[in-house]
Amino acid sequence: MDLTAPAIELTDLDKFYGTFHALKGISLTVAKGEKVVVCGPSGSGKSTMIRCINQLEEHDGGTIRVFGTTLDDNVGLIDEIRREVGMVFQQFNLFPHMTVLENCTLAPMLVRKTSRADAEATAMRYLEKVRIPDQAQKYPGQLSGGQQQRVAIARALCMQPEILLFDEPTSALDPEMIAEVLDVMVTLAQEGMTMICVTHEMGFARKVADRVVFMDKGEIIEEAPPEDFFGNPKSDRTRLFLSQVLGH
Amino acid sequence: MTAPAGSARLRRLRKAYFGSPLSALMTLLSAAILGFILWKLLDWGLIHATFDASGTQETCAAKGGACWSVIATRWRVILFGIYPYEEQWRPALACLVVAGVIVLSCLPRMWSFGKLALTWTIGTIVFYTLMRGGILGLASVNEQQWGGLPLTLFVFVATGIIGMPLAIGLALLRRSDYPVIARVSGWIIDTIRSLPLLSILFTCAIVLPFMLPGFLIGEKLYRVVFGAALFFAAYQAEIIRGGFQGIPKGQEEAAKALGLSYWQRMGRIVLPQAFRLALPATINQFVIAFMETSLIVVVGFMELLAAGNTAFKTGEWKFAYAEVYVFIAAIYFAFVFGLSRYGAYLEARMNVGHRKD
Ligand SMILES: Nc1ncnc2c1ncn2[C@@H]1O[C@H](COP(=O)(O)OP(=O)(O)OP(=O)(O)O)[C@@H](O)[C@H]1O
Ligand SMILES: [Mg+2]
Repeated sequence: MDLTAPAIELTDLDKFYGTFHALKGISLTVAKGEKVVVCGPSGSGKSTMIRCINQLEEHDGGTIRVFGTTLDDNVGLIDEIRREVGMVFQQFNLFPHMTVLENCTLAPMLVRKTSRADAEATAMRYLEKVRIPDQAQKYPGQLSGGQQQRVAIARALCMQPEILLFDEPTSALDPEMIAEVLDVMVTLAQEGMTMICVTHEMGFARKVADRVVFMDKGEIIEEAPPEDFFGNPKSDRTRLFLSQVLGH
Repeated sequence: MTAPAGSARLRRLRKAYFGSPLSALMTLLSAAILGFILWKLLDWGLIHATFDASGTQETCAAKGGACWSVIATRWRVILFGIYPYEEQWRPALACLVVAGVIVLSCLPRMWSFGKLALTWTIGTIVFYTLMRGGILGLASVNEQQWGGLPLTLFVFVATGIIGMPLAIGLALLRRSDYPVIARVSGWIIDTIRSLPLLSILFTCAIVLPFMLPGFLIGEKLYRVVFGAALFFAAYQAEIIRGGFQGIPKGQEEAAKALGLSYWQRMGRIVLPQAFRLALPATINQFVIAFMETSLIVVVGFMELLAAGNTAFKTGEWKFAYAEVYVFIAAIYFAFVFGLSRYGAYLEARMNVGHRKD
């Protein structure tokens, strides 16, 4: 793994579900420290694309490079990439049978072979960062949605990844909890984390994104810095989408 | 304003049992029937029963109640079968060892692979040494002479110890990403489940020796235990699969995204949650397995129930079969009731922190 290479390089990425062509030759490069927001209508392939990056979905064509390492069928390589690429899901996916602290220390201890004491210290540091250190001994089922999603972010951070992927992290939250999660994400962005966020929070995109990527029907339609993307969209489809998302 | 808790409770009871004339009638009627049965049982089992070992058919009949004298004189046959009489302290001790190991492994603080493996290895060695003998100056006792409670316990525990890992293996293979493996595992499970346990036991005891090479045949008891374990595993594998189906897909994805390997995902995320969901059915399966140990009598083993049957086969005790069956039923009840209470305890314990979902 070469930390001077681009963080993520997707070239002509193809993905099929049976005969359905879900990704049609996607190419996207994300530099280290860059923040990319991905948006687009439902079913456009946003989740599929970012799930290919950590191989929760296998791609059928094209190449994926993470810090210069090309992903192929080598299982060991996939595990190595997953260590450096954290992911936050729409449904949180916390482990319900473990406390918040155990959720955060599990992977560092198993995968990175960190000692329990070190893992717990790191976990407490990140739980403080997402502002819920007092919930460490609780179970996920005892927390609100916003708190759960912040734990999920802390859990991903505990692996000290180079890249964080977010798949609609606020879509399952009540409106009053969205802000607390976005705040944490803004902080991470400002600290220089490399991030790819699938989200429809356009305020967040304006504030932190270096680039906004618009997808439709398995293709990248437009890719631009937020000022241009929102101020001067080139494609009709982007304009239509923006009017729908921002319209109300 | 709140009514005192006691009177609210009383009101609820009254509503439940005397809410209408009909329900009041039913309540009184059921109470009368229950009371009558209970009284009859007490009268037979305690008040007019004979307890001392010197009781005979005549003296018992004269008192009119149960003749527990049969237990007092024949309990060693019931508990230990045809195990040599002078050596019966050994199966007694062996039973205690098994019971001790079971109780130990039920304690949450013992739940690590290392501790459990150590406990069970030591337990098995001690049990086997005591029962089989042949070393340490203990007279050798062939497996064919084992009987009664230790045999029942041995078959049950061994079925569980061999069957559970088999079940986990079959269940994991059945959800394999490779369709061939998943299908083969499915076939194995479905085949075993469509055979009656009796036919599996017969096959293992009688048919298998003709098919296997000599060095693989082994003692009949172990072949039978293997058959019972296979049967247990097929059903338990389906129970575990049911547990898998209750786990959201995102759980395994989250574990993958964190870089956990296949075995770490299974061991830490998938199986613990599957067992939680499958706990009631799993306890049920263990209860059934315990009851089914009595089937090994058909291939010539004198387990608890069969040993009990011999206890009243001698002329003088022919009349006292009810007492013997009540005694055996009490032993089964103690085990199964303990098992289900333990299941309830586990469920309560696992529900900690799950109040919201
Ligand atoms: N496992 C699957 N099997 C078959 N089709 C799938 C599968 N997963 C996704 N698809 C299809 O692929 C397309 C892209 O799905 P994807 O989840 O990537 O969309 P998305 O852009 O994330 O949409 P949303 O905003 O609703 O999350 C959709 O048409 C979907 O129906
Ligand atoms: Mg999606």
